[in-house]
Amino acid sequence: MIAIEHLAKRFHVVASPAKTGLTGLVKLARRAAPRIVHAVRDVSFEAPDGRITGLLGPNGAGKTTTLRMLAGLITPDAGSLHVDGVDVARAPRDALARMGMLSDARGLYPRLTARENIVYYGRLQGMTRDAANARAEHLAQMFEMGALLDRRTDGFSQGERMKTSLARALVHDPANIVLDEPTNGLDVLATRALRDSLRWLRSPEGGAKCIVFSTHIMQEVERLCDGVVVVSHGRTVARGTVSELLAQTGQADFEEAFVQLAFSADERAHHEAQVDAAVEMVDATTVDGTAA
Amino acid sequence: MKHRNNGGNYKLLAALTVYRKEIVDALRDRRTLLTVLISSVLMGPAVLFAISALVASLESRAEQREVYVVGIENAPSLKNFLERQTAVIKAAPPDYEAQLRKALFTDPVVVIPKDFEAALRRGDAPVVEVVVDSANQRSSAGAGRVERLLQGFARERAALTLALRGVSLDLLEPVRVEDRDLASTQTRATQITGMLPYFVMMAVLYGALNAALDTTAGERERGSLEPLLMNPLERWALVLGKWAAVASVGMLIAVLSSLSFLPGQWLLRSDNLAAMFQYGLREASLFLVVLLPFAAAVSAVLMAVAIRCKSFKEAQASATVVMLGASLLPLVNVFSLGQESAWHVWVPALAQNVLMTHVLKGEALNAVQIAPPLLVCVVLTIAGVWFVARTLRSAAVR
Repeated sequence: MIAIEHLAKRFHVVASPAKTGLTGLVKLARRAAPRIVHAVRDVSFEAPDGRITGLLGPNGAGKTTTLRMLAGLITPDAGSLHVDGVDVARAPRDALARMGMLSDARGLYPRLTARENIVYYGRLQGMTRDAANARAEHLAQMFEMGALLDRRTDGFSQGERMKTSLARALVHDPANIVLDEPTNGLDVLATRALRDSLRWLRSPEGGAKCIVFSTHIMQEVERLCDGVVVVSHGRTVARGTVSELLAQTGQADFEEAFVQLAFSADERAHHEAQVDAAVEMVDATTVDGTAA
Repeated sequence: MKHRNNGGNYKLLAALTVYRKEIVDALRDRRTLLTVLISSVLMGPAVLFAISALVASLESRAEQREVYVVGIENAPSLKNFLERQTAVIKAAPPDYEAQLRKALFTDPVVVIPKDFEAALRRGDAPVVEVVVDSANQRSSAGAGRVERLLQGFARERAALTLALRGVSLDLLEPVRVEDRDLASTQTRATQITGMLPYFVMMAVLYGALNAALDTTAGERERGSLEPLLMNPLERWALVLGKWAAVASVGMLIAVLSSLSFLPGQWLLRSDNLAAMFQYGLREASLFLVVLLPFAAAVSAVLMAVAIRCKSFKEAQASATVVMLGASLLPLVNVFSLGQESAWHVWVPALAQNVLMTHVLKGEALNAVQIAPPLLVCVVLTIAGVWFVARTLRSAAVR
């Protein structure tokens, strides 16, 4: 179980478009005041065991920052994160041992085989070589990548990379699984295979894992998630099942419901105005084109 | 977790796991590794061979006692003198000036004027030219020998003239000058073999460079650093494992290149040089005493520089500063022409060069000499590893 309460993080961004050269020096001399970016303002949610919780939000909503804080890579300014009751701030390594994380970056070691990549992480999780090896074979069977296991990962396709990094993240059989935009760059078949694997991991036979899944794709959430947490501008703006959120917004289409939840009325109006302007411009050029 | 062994030595075990993986990874980078290994192992013999070939050709020239002359028919007395000195007189090619300029011809040429013999008899001091091209180093190297021969002739003429007039020959030489060279044969050899330490250090630097960049900036570029940090191991254990792997590669290169001079010695073509260049197991192990801490420090410094870079390419550019420093600092030893200051042993790269030069001179190294560079290397290593461990987390998410 993963519980996050009132999480907040801001970054100091030094505005320096050109770091080198004379302009850079001038800017450095002027000491431009660092801009403060609130990546996460107030995010709270609870992801129970045996359920898939979708973290849904537009790009830049603060999903990745939240998950990085969960991994202990970034220290939050405020709020708390607990994994199976373990405080991430106090015992980050104990928390990490209870999680399998698939981050936004999922680089593999190209000169190692898929098996070596997976076993390496197993060893770093404190497993014996034999246990890690057995687990790698088990996972390879589950993700249908047995043929890949002893090939070097150099030249793997996106789907093959994804499977390898997922197996790597799950090598220590964690009770909590956290995936940051896992379907990015995957084709239909790979996406379906991933969904099937996640459903199985959620089931009691699969270990009734607690699965947190960040995405900006509605269909993923509709098809897969038991609960949805909508994040926008660094805040949790809505929580519930897909049908609950539809009922809350009075919409029949989940995408409409999401837009209504994630964006303010002003933003929606602004966006529509921009679209209208663009359409008018296209119309105008077509008219000109035909006139000339 | 069910498979987890939570023993106290887990941290060291984790460092060992990282070390093993990095070594396997580095060893699988065959092309880079082979290039570095071959160049470092073959470099010693190659440099020695080149030096010995040069020395041997100079020596054989000196033994040949050949003198190239234009217009020897104008000077029978000089010809007679040269033949008595067992010199072989050869006619210079007609276009010797052009050939000397293009370095096609590598001997100095003696030019004798037409009225040489007559002027000599009149006491008019005829001018004999020794033609060299100072840009053509071999021709100028032979000039001294030819000039000594010609001066010998002049001295003999002067002595004969004075003797005929009943003047004592001692008057010609009111002061006698004798050379007494204090340098041992090995010390003299370092004038020639002095660049060897420099080559060895470059081999260590370039050997560690690739591994150091790959485990830091390379890891960032591949996007494998962030997932790596999502494992429950201490950051210092991770960095320690990585550093140990890079240092091992650097040390392997140090061992190979130090040992490569042992067989390289057999290739020496000049007997003189072979006698002067004493490089045995003792010298090789002293080289290693100096080089192994250097390899450790260089690995840590290169990693510290590279961890701040997002890509391998960017890291290569930043590492150039380190490489440049390490290649320029030893030159202080060259420019100061062997005059050592106390601070030399405190400067990394320079200190190693100074100490290895001592070893080649056949001098023993004492603790006072070894301690400062060792201390500097330990400090650099700790500082580098500390910096990487500190920067790792922020580097992963940027």
